[in-house]
Amino acid sequence: MLMHFVIALMGVLMGIIFGSIPGMTATMAVAIFLPLTYAYDMTTSLFLLLGLYVGGISGGLVPAILINIPGTPSSICTTFEGHPMTQKGEGERALKVGITASFFGGVISLCCLWLFTPLLSDLAIKFTSVEEFLIILFALSIIAALSKGNMIKGIFAGFLGVLTALVGSFPDNNKERLVPDFLSGDLTSGFSLLPVLIGLFAISELLEMAEKGMPHTNVEKLAKSKDAVKFSFRDFKGQIANVFRSSLLGTFTGILPGVGGSAASILSYSTTKNLSKHPEKFGTGVPEGLIASESANNGLTGGALIPLLSLGIPGDSTTAVLMGAFMLQGIQVGPLFITQNPDIWKTVLLALLLCDFLMFFVMFFPIKYIAKIIYIKPARLYPVIVLMCVVGAYTCNNGIMFDVWTLLLFGLVGYLFNKFGLSVPCYLIGFILGGSLEKYFIDSLKGAGGSLSVFFSHPIGNVIWVLIIISIAYSIYDNHKQKAKQKAC
Amino acid sequence: MGGFPKIEVVYSTSHWLFPKIIIGILIILAAILLIQTIWNRKKEGKPIFCKKGFFVENYDKIKFYGTIILLILYVICLDLFGFLFTSMVFMLLFNLLYSASKERKSILTSVVISVVSSVLIWYVFGVLFNLSLPTGMIGI
Repeated sequence: MLMHFVIALMGVLMGIIFGSIPGMTATMAVAIFLPLTYAYDMTTSLFLLLGLYVGGISGGLVPAILINIPGTPSSICTTFEGHPMTQKGEGERALKVGITASFFGGVISLCCLWLFTPLLSDLAIKFTSVEEFLIILFALSIIAALSKGNMIKGIFAGFLGVLTALVGSFPDNNKERLVPDFLSGDLTSGFSLLPVLIGLFAISELLEMAEKGMPHTNVEKLAKSKDAVKFSFRDFKGQIANVFRSSLLGTFTGILPGVGGSAASILSYSTTKNLSKHPEKFGTGVPEGLIASESANNGLTGGALIPLLSLGIPGDSTTAVLMGAFMLQGIQVGPLFITQNPDIWKTVLLALLLCDFLMFFVMFFPIKYIAKIIYIKPARLYPVIVLMCVVGAYTCNNGIMFDVWTLLLFGLVGYLFNKFGLSVPCYLIGFILGGSLEKYFIDSLKGAGGSLSVFFSHPIGNVIWVLIIISIAYSIYDNHKQKAKQKAC
Repeated sequence: MGGFPKIEVVYSTSHWLFPKIIIGILIILAAILLIQTIWNRKKEGKPIFCKKGFFVENYDKIKFYGTIILLILYVICLDLFGFLFTSMVFMLLFNLLYSASKERKSILTSVVISVVSSVLIWYVFGVLFNLSLPTGMIGI
């Protein structure tokens, strides 16, 4: 038990460091520390990984507030209120408000996770291969619907991921497809998940930083004025509704696959602004907006785990990496997860709760020291990250050099995707679910003697069809609205 | 429901059934994207093949290409010389590339970081966790 505590603490600390350094994300933290879990069982690994997740998401608020750069995309709206507060000399107060909001967001979303995952699992247990196929299709359509700006690009990235997953041999008849002759031996079982993950999220980031010349933002000394307002828990007076609304909005955004923390932060910030009695003050440093942004992005943590544990569909890119951890340990996430692994399910809840508390205590009291993390130079940290990435890729299948090449290849893929405005999370979710998508498609067809009518003859399946159509219709509407907005400007 | 087309699942060719569908969908999507782009460019009166910079402005050529070259060489050398030695050398090269300073103190920091990080990771993964790390053909 003490061991678990220490490991969770280490995870939270490392997560905070990654979250606090601009350009490094929670996803990256989980991906490069995943190899550390090879030597442990699932229970111990969960304490580390969930610690990294919670710490990584929370750490983003430090540079957002102090230097106006979100440490992770999920802290984007924190900069709107947090930095003006710092300029007024209330940096410490802003940090403490943010940390407390993060804590509440995490705990509220944890309650949602605890309540809703079993419900969704019970529903999903009734799924046949037809519904399983359609629910993955639905996940892909939602990703596309919510990839702002261009729906087609989102779907394209998702299906490209599916195609990548199909490389290798088909389990039904053990025949290879999409494999170039000279790689026949290496790609029999396709690309390994872990090198693909680390490549997409760590190596691509390295290339981007190298392109920019490893910039290091110079930080001025924190201005302090004596009459600045100090933090007190009274800052939360009258904000209870805000905390709950934002946390729940964050949780909800987390449940939708492929929608990241930045969407959660923006959604709850704008909602809070619209409902506020004094919306004109937003942007000048009001704690209200800060609370909205930070409770929403921590609300995401529990939310994103709901579809992962009940349907086997990751809610965001970090949970996609967590899914990789479950796969490595040979544990199937999906409708049967809770009934088959009741102990691990309890561990998930316990570990998440512990990590939320640890995050709070680690950040709240020594915040002056934590704030120093932003002085770490990326130029010194990235070489060590390269080292960890290579070790992680090499050891994931017990020492295969081809996996290291896969790592580099997908680092380049991720880099190019970002350049062309294709969504990497969409691609990753397509890649993770591609194999199952094919399996359920073929199984459905086999069961019906090849008739495509099978996809429309199940009641639950038809409900999912309606959801798919709604999500596509919404995205077309949203695209139009955005174009109209652009014209108006 | 007779109106629906049928797809026969033939055992010997079933491995190509789904990939073909996905490739089909991708081609359709790519075509739509292409038409969209051309349409938008025409409407805005821009040439179809406008020369928009691929890299960010004033990108750091040395660090960018240096990173790619070092990464590839690192993996090749791992196979030849084993983990610990290669990692120390390449961590030093990465550090020198990124910090780009000729000051003695900076170079000293680079050396310390590369040795400590390599030894630490080698010890944790290779010795404590007993995972296999590249041994190399010469085996240092």
